[in-house]
Amino acid sequence: MAASLSSIGNVRVLSALAWSSSLCSFSGSRGLHVTVSCCKNRAARIRVGKGDKPVTYEQAHHPHHIGHRKGWLSQHTSNLKGEDGAAERTVEDVFIRRFMFGTFHGCLANEIVIKRRGNLLNVCAVMLQKLPPQKFYFLIGYTESLLSHFYKCPVKLEIQTLQDKIVYKYL
Amino acid sequence: MLFCLKRSLNEALKSCFSLSNRSREAVLEALASTVSRDPTAYPYQFQDDPYLSPRTSTEFKLFSLSQESGRSAAKYIVNNNPKLFTKDFAEPHIPCLMPETVSLRLEEVSEEALKERITLRKVTAAVDMYDQLLQAGTTVSMETTHSLLDLICLYSDRDPVQDGEPQTDDAEFGEELKKRKARVRRASDFLKFTWKENNNAERIFNLLPERDTRCYSALIRGMVKHGAYAKAFSMYTDMLNNRLTADVHIFNALISAAPDVRDKFNERWDLVAELLNQMNQQKVRPDLLTFNSVLKALRRCGFLAKTQALHTLNEMKALGIAPSLASYDHILAVFYKSASSAQNNTDLLQEVIAELEGRIFTCQDPDDVLFFSSAMRICLDSKDLELGYKIQSLVDVGENWRLLGDSFQQSIYYGRFFNLLCMMEHIDVVLKWYKQIIPSLYYPNPQGMRDLLQALDTDSRLDLLPSIWKDIKTLGHDNKPDLVEELLSLMAREKHSSEVQESFAACALDVKSVFDLRPSIEWSAASLSHITTLLLRANKTRQAWEMLQLFKSRNRVPSEGLLNNFLSVCHSDGDSQKAVQLVQLSAAFCLPTTWRLAKRALAEFELTEEQRAILSELETAGEPSD
Repeated sequence: MAASLSSIGNVRVLSALAWSSSLCSFSGSRGLHVTVSCCKNRAARIRVGKGDKPVTYEQAHHPHHIGHRKGWLSQHTSNLKGEDGAAERTVEDVFIRRFMFGTFHGCLANEIVIKRRGNLLNVCAVMLQKLPPQKFYFLIGYTESLLSHFYKCPVKLEIQTLQDKIVYKYL
Repeated sequence: MLFCLKRSLNEALKSCFSLSNRSREAVLEALASTVSRDPTAYPYQFQDDPYLSPRTSTEFKLFSLSQESGRSAAKYIVNNNPKLFTKDFAEPHIPCLMPETVSLRLEEVSEEALKERITLRKVTAAVDMYDQLLQAGTTVSMETTHSLLDLICLYSDRDPVQDGEPQTDDAEFGEELKKRKARVRRASDFLKFTWKENNNAERIFNLLPERDTRCYSALIRGMVKHGAYAKAFSMYTDMLNNRLTADVHIFNALISAAPDVRDKFNERWDLVAELLNQMNQQKVRPDLLTFNSVLKALRRCGFLAKTQALHTLNEMKALGIAPSLASYDHILAVFYKSASSAQNNTDLLQEVIAELEGRIFTCQDPDDVLFFSSAMRICLDSKDLELGYKIQSLVDVGENWRLLGDSFQQSIYYGRFFNLLCMMEHIDVVLKWYKQIIPSLYYPNPQGMRDLLQALDTDSRLDLLPSIWKDIKTLGHDNKPDLVEELLSLMAREKHSSEVQESFAACALDVKSVFDLRPSIEWSAASLSHITTLLLRANKTRQAWEMLQLFKSRNRVPSEGLLNNFLSVCHSDGDSQKAVQLVQLSAAFCLPTTWRLAKRALAEFELTEEQRAILSELETAGEPSD
């Protein structure tokens, strides 16, 4: 890289020198990036077994079917271009899913869908009719209030109930 | 969807944009005004799911209370672990979603600590802190003393009930309850406290170096609230002796307590009049609550009430105070004593409704919510349908539905309205209202359903009975044997066309299956007979036969008419074996008509020798000797 020493191009020279020096010190080396193994070919897939394991539609379809045969379980705008907060939303979602799983223990028929509309956090769940309705309402009031206080935004639960889990196929 | 637009969208938006200073929600309000109430929707506070929606009024209360208790459980956790909930994401800050300070922070003896205890409503702690301050010799400011006295008098020197701790009854409380004989005892009575002798409020009051009107006000109002009426009056005379003037709150409290300290009607009224005079002398301006207390006291003044009530109204008008719904409620109570049929003219009520037409109300007095149900009661007693409709249209104006009160009051109002409709209106209109108000606004009780059945009967729309049965099941009234029996008797009374008969038979089978599921319900002979008759009319002989077997197992006796009916059906079926069995059944019940049945059977059926023998035996056995 030929560096001209005329006074007009002084700034450019200096920056060019800086760049070339950084390149020079690492010339010939390649960075090595290491992460925890992601196992992307085993994520969210239930393996075919003997044929006695009931599986819902959600569980039966693999992640590459999202957008084609499945919808999204978590809907927010922070993955759009120019929006931030994707990581925080994901962490919130993980907490909410665990919270719902624990609070309504044994009653969830399927995964929870979390929708964010403006300020509102809408948690949609399909439940089994295992508890009498007044116990459901106790847990609903408790969850809405606690999550609202925790996330400082209104949280609404939309519950639908079923008699049993809907089995899509047996694997 | 277009049918439920109350005003056209264009109109609404035009009105919105024509306002020069429109509020931020103007567009939303305009859109909201185009949509009327959806009578098929579940109540908004519940989830949109058939399993989770309430179907009776008990379920409604149960679900709302359990949701509320879930919320308070969450609040308890939030307030007791404030460190977990302090991270503030919200921009701008939302104060109601932050944990509240529930526990005391300031421990030292100071006025600040006293103020903190007052705001947190900790009565006993506040009193202790005050005593400590006095012992330490610090003077407490007048303002803080006022708030302390207010606090103690409001809660009658007891801590407000926190987290459902049960309060122990004392003996004097029981006595107070017995004294309130005129009033219906409700759960809220048990939550009221009585004023103890020489309690902290009085003690602190006596310790004060100088007492002003506000101190007296707190004490007097506390005494009246908690039932120490005579003491309140003596405290008032005390105050006058100290040459202080009372304020409007004191007078309101004393006027409402006047009927409790005098027994005769004229004495009561004289006391109220005297208080009003003194109010005038002390140049205290009366407000709406003053006049409402006067009217409420007049309700207990017997014959004086009518003239004086009208005088009071004139006074209100002269002072320019508009009467609220509570005032009108008291006046209606004075002029329309309950259930006396002599008051058949509704002129006064009509005038009142004409006066109130089209107005929008806000709640200005806690008794405002009783107006609508009393007005509807008067319409019901005098069977005035037009007036009932006018009252309902008044409820529909703007947000006046909020003044129908809590769910109990609301159910009383709609119950009476529906009763009036069933009595006076044509069935089509009744059914239109039925679809609109049930079950979204009102869950009818068995009496209400009976009124509906009556209305169906009057207008000969008995073909609708199976769908009414479905509603009875949904409302949870299928465990009320009287109601079900009435339904069955209406169905079984006459013969109808064949499709109707088919639907009745299906309904009867449904009733039977419901009763089978509940072994504790006692069948009556009438219900069993009706079901059997309905099944026979629809030619469901086999099921009818099973019903007859049920008679034996439930220890009920079938009627003569039923068995005759059955025999005729057997004859048309040509089933002689059944006929013989029928006669034998009748003999097993030792019915007096056995011989007649046997005779009929012998005459009408083709029988084998064996059958003939059995029947002749039964005939001769039962035949009355001449």
